[in-house]
Amino acid sequence: MTSVESGGDGGKWLDAHYDPVAGLYTFSSCVDLADLSGDGENRLVVGDLGTGSSGMKLKVYRGTALMSENTLLDLPAGLVAFFMDLHEPRIPTTAVASGPCIYLYKNLRPYFKFTLPSLEVNTLEQDVWQQAREGQIDPLTLKEMLESIRKKADVPLSVRSLRFLSLETDGLDEFVQLHKQQPIRRQTVITCIDTLKKSTADEDGVSCLVVGTESSDVFILDSKAFIILSKMSLPAPPTMMDVTGQFDVEFRITVACRNGNIYILRRESDKPKYCVELPSHPVGLVRVGKNVLVGCTDESLQGFTQKGKKLWKIVLPAPITTMAPMDLPTRGFQGVLVGLANCEVHLYRDKNLLSTIKTPDVVTSICFGRYGREDGTLIMTTKGGGLMVKILKRTVVFDDRDSAPGPPLAQSIRLNVPKKTKLYVDQTLRERESGVAMHRAFQMDLSRVRLAAAKAYVKALESSLTPMSASLSEPLKMNAVVQGLGPSFKLTLHVQNTAACRPVMNLAISFLYDENLYRIRDPYMRIPLLVPGLIYPVGTFVDCTNDKGITDIIKVFVLHEGRSSPLLTAHINMPVSEGLALS
Amino acid sequence: QLEEHLNLLSQMLKTETSFRLFAPAAPELPIVERRNWLIHQHYIRKDYETCKVIIKTQLQETNGMCEYAIYVQALILRLEGRIQESLELLQSCAILNPSSTDNLKQVARSLFLLGKHKAAIEVYHEAARLCDKDWEISHNLGVCFFFIKDFKNAEEHLNTALQINKHDKTFMMLGKVHLVAGETDKAIEVFKRAVEFSPENTDHLSTLGLLYLQLRKYQKAFEHLGNALTFDPNNYKAILAAGSMMQTHGDFDVAMNKYRVAACAVPESPPLWNNIGMCFFGKKKYVAAISCLKRANYLSPFDWKVLYNLGLVHLTMQQYASAFHFLSAAISLNPRMGELYMLLAVALTNLEDVENSTRAYEQAVNLDESNPLVNLNFAIFLYNHGDKTAALDQYQEMQRKVNILQDSSSNLEFDPELMDMAQKLGAALQVGESLQWTKPGKDSKSKPHSATLAKSPSAPLGTNQALGQAMSSAASYNKNIQLPAGTVASRLGMTPASPPTLPAPHNQQCDGSPSRAWEKKKEAEE
Repeated sequence: MTSVESGGDGGKWLDAHYDPVAGLYTFSSCVDLADLSGDGENRLVVGDLGTGSSGMKLKVYRGTALMSENTLLDLPAGLVAFFMDLHEPRIPTTAVASGPCIYLYKNLRPYFKFTLPSLEVNTLEQDVWQQAREGQIDPLTLKEMLESIRKKADVPLSVRSLRFLSLETDGLDEFVQLHKQQPIRRQTVITCIDTLKKSTADEDGVSCLVVGTESSDVFILDSKAFIILSKMSLPAPPTMMDVTGQFDVEFRITVACRNGNIYILRRESDKPKYCVELPSHPVGLVRVGKNVLVGCTDESLQGFTQKGKKLWKIVLPAPITTMAPMDLPTRGFQGVLVGLANCEVHLYRDKNLLSTIKTPDVVTSICFGRYGREDGTLIMTTKGGGLMVKILKRTVVFDDRDSAPGPPLAQSIRLNVPKKTKLYVDQTLRERESGVAMHRAFQMDLSRVRLAAAKAYVKALESSLTPMSASLSEPLKMNAVVQGLGPSFKLTLHVQNTAACRPVMNLAISFLYDENLYRIRDPYMRIPLLVPGLIYPVGTFVDCTNDKGITDIIKVFVLHEGRSSPLLTAHINMPVSEGLALS
Repeated sequence: QLEEHLNLLSQMLKTETSFRLFAPAAPELPIVERRNWLIHQHYIRKDYETCKVIIKTQLQETNGMCEYAIYVQALILRLEGRIQESLELLQSCAILNPSSTDNLKQVARSLFLLGKHKAAIEVYHEAARLCDKDWEISHNLGVCFFFIKDFKNAEEHLNTALQINKHDKTFMMLGKVHLVAGETDKAIEVFKRAVEFSPENTDHLSTLGLLYLQLRKYQKAFEHLGNALTFDPNNYKAILAAGSMMQTHGDFDVAMNKYRVAACAVPESPPLWNNIGMCFFGKKKYVAAISCLKRANYLSPFDWKVLYNLGLVHLTMQQYASAFHFLSAAISLNPRMGELYMLLAVALTNLEDVENSTRAYEQAVNLDESNPLVNLNFAIFLYNHGDKTAALDQYQEMQRKVNILQDSSSNLEFDPELMDMAQKLGAALQVGESLQWTKPGKDSKSKPHSATLAKSPSAPLGTNQALGQAMSSAASYNKNIQLPAGTVASRLGMTPASPPTLPAPHNQQCDGSPSRAWEKKKEAEE
């Protein structure tokens, strides 16, 4: 491996390898390091999800090169390397959980497949299908019966019945013919997998597999005989697990579930012993020493005791993408690596940030451990499919900085106080000298403005010039729109009765205009009864009879029958006519 | 190398065949839930685009029968703001699995987000029937009841939630319910419990600190605010509150240090710039003070406190015409404060408008209940204009207020300038030494009082120093009611802020501007 000095992370790590186009799509749960050949050199095993629907592969890297690839039949949900027996040489087995099965690989070859036991099938459902097989009920009846079972039953229907229910009527018969001979099965899916030492805590002791399933169960499997040693149930499907202890002595399984809670399972009980309700979904779950560290979607990292008591919480600068433990037993160092969406990986010991690594892309999986012959290797895959290998420098010391870093940086930044100009100072001086005169002049002018405004207002009120009617009995609102280029214009008046509930009747519209310039087709229009709230468009056409490009104002009056003064007046500034009138 | 390659190929082929041997020959239907874990992994990583692609494949594969895929799709739609569509998807989820509380909870949440609180409450009740003792349901019920202003039920449900499981969110909400219902004591109890439960939660600490500040328990307030700042030195609320307390004690430099942090975090906060401005004022940097206050006023033009302070600073700068405008604007926003009218009167006195100044003083005296300064300034004004009898009345009124204040609290200290001025005026009015100050000995030196009074028409009595006192009270007052300030401003935001010509409100009303008259008319119609 070539080592290059890297910047941006305090020079704590050596860049060993970076392949931005490795094409890996995986999660931390699908990455492991193990000595797969028994030659003392650790390989990197990755469960690659391919495109997410096809091309799933089990990839093994040695050094910087891809060593082998095995095609997987289904999406790998998790991958662990563990010792399943005591045979020499000590070569670990790789277990890949996908769908309802665990595929075991030994020496990079498929070795065994274990399928989880089927779930209980609804007896009513079974009966109904039995009847269908014997031809006692037709497919339509079958569908109805299944539908009613689904609504009431405690045990959910099988895949077959669900698919049957989603079919159109014409496909029903064929489907029944095809499937009726098969026994009904309900299978679950593995969501997470981990290992648990059987009876010794040794590094190369025999382990059991711990499997979490979609049916909200946790199984402990014996890896020799592949029998279920223990079954525990949870209130929701598990998403992540952390296992510690030995099966024969005492163990503790910390499970993050899809309902956003964390449950702690112990040896003696098949139900969770403790429960932590988190304020948001957990993204990462890592045990460091005796504490459990949980990264949540609300951009926080929280620490809990083994019994689920909250210890601390820190806020992170960006959403978490993945988390992994960092153990260096030779130096007695234990920390947690947190991948963030802002292209950084943070290393925390408890709640203290020790180091930050900048990455060229968002990290999706992290794995720290022995790779090749190097103990402190950090392996990361990125969102774009890249593979990155970094080596911790042997001379690095992580100083435990205090969590209170003193006054924040911002305290030393100068306040941005707006400056005042010389002009301002001069004006200030002038005000001091002749403040009284300024005040009086201002008051005088203000009074004049008010007087002028009041006069104009009174005039407008007196001559009903406003576009809103002030009268109590006919509260009206009007606006006018002129459309067209000329010589013919369309004039539309929108009249609205703004009263709460009273309609207005007996209204009319008339116009006042220069007859030398304009001709209006309906100079007098009656307005229908106005229902409150609705807007009534009243339209007519205006022809411009002049070709000199002169415009004028047309006055619109809304009149009430039997009253001489108008309710409303609108002045319409006519646009210039751009065409000539045909005489 | 070639050999190795061939080996690899044969290996791969073997893999394929060997697995094919395991696989059953019958046409197996894919398991409906087989990608649920993958959907969840992407969902919690906020990778919604990939998530949607997987959901789409999953739904195609299962003919839309995968409940979890629809559920997550609905949640993503809701995050994208398409609440109505999300609600429809959740309802189809509920058809697939009618007994799922999660579905019901999310339906209720969507209804809640759409503002249909009553419908949300119904759905939550239904969910509660399926699964009692759920913290989330009780909490959200509490929130819903809070929004329909049923505080009693809200309190009850939030308390139930706390009994089931303690969450910071619930404490915060319960505290809020108590505050809105006006039960400060209960709110303090809630926040005390919250701080006990999670001692590092800065929100709880700062809120509790502010509540203590409101109740004038300064020691406790400072303790909690200090704690909040220890855990989060950038906590804006705590910085402002602690800074204003320091300011009240005259530690302007320390307060400024704190404000610098806040200015980085929230550079557009009106109360922050107001406080910074008053810090500069305290340090006698008047131009900087005006700059900062004007920025505060620009950011929040309807905050009368900023206008009050601007008026005060301009009075100090002897810019009386400007002071008049700021003060009259402040009065039109808050017409119930005696001190404002007093300051206006001082400005008008300096603008040589005796008539309006008298009116403003009268209004100030009418409104004010406890501040002796108002009466003292009025008395001096009257004395300077030769109305000794009226001045004497005001002087006696001031004495009465001083006595009340002294009775109510023993260790009250008056501003020495105020005492000095009062003594001089007392001598000038020949009332003698009837008024007992707490520290009478110091101020008993008699001066040629009438001379001082007479020679200062340009800088009349009580302006500068008395104003200084008014300032500090304003600054502290200002911060004490930090929280409600925002709401006041927003409510006032709707009223037109035309400064009245004359300070006294009766003037303002009879000489209303046309637009106002029009508005009144409209109201009458309705």
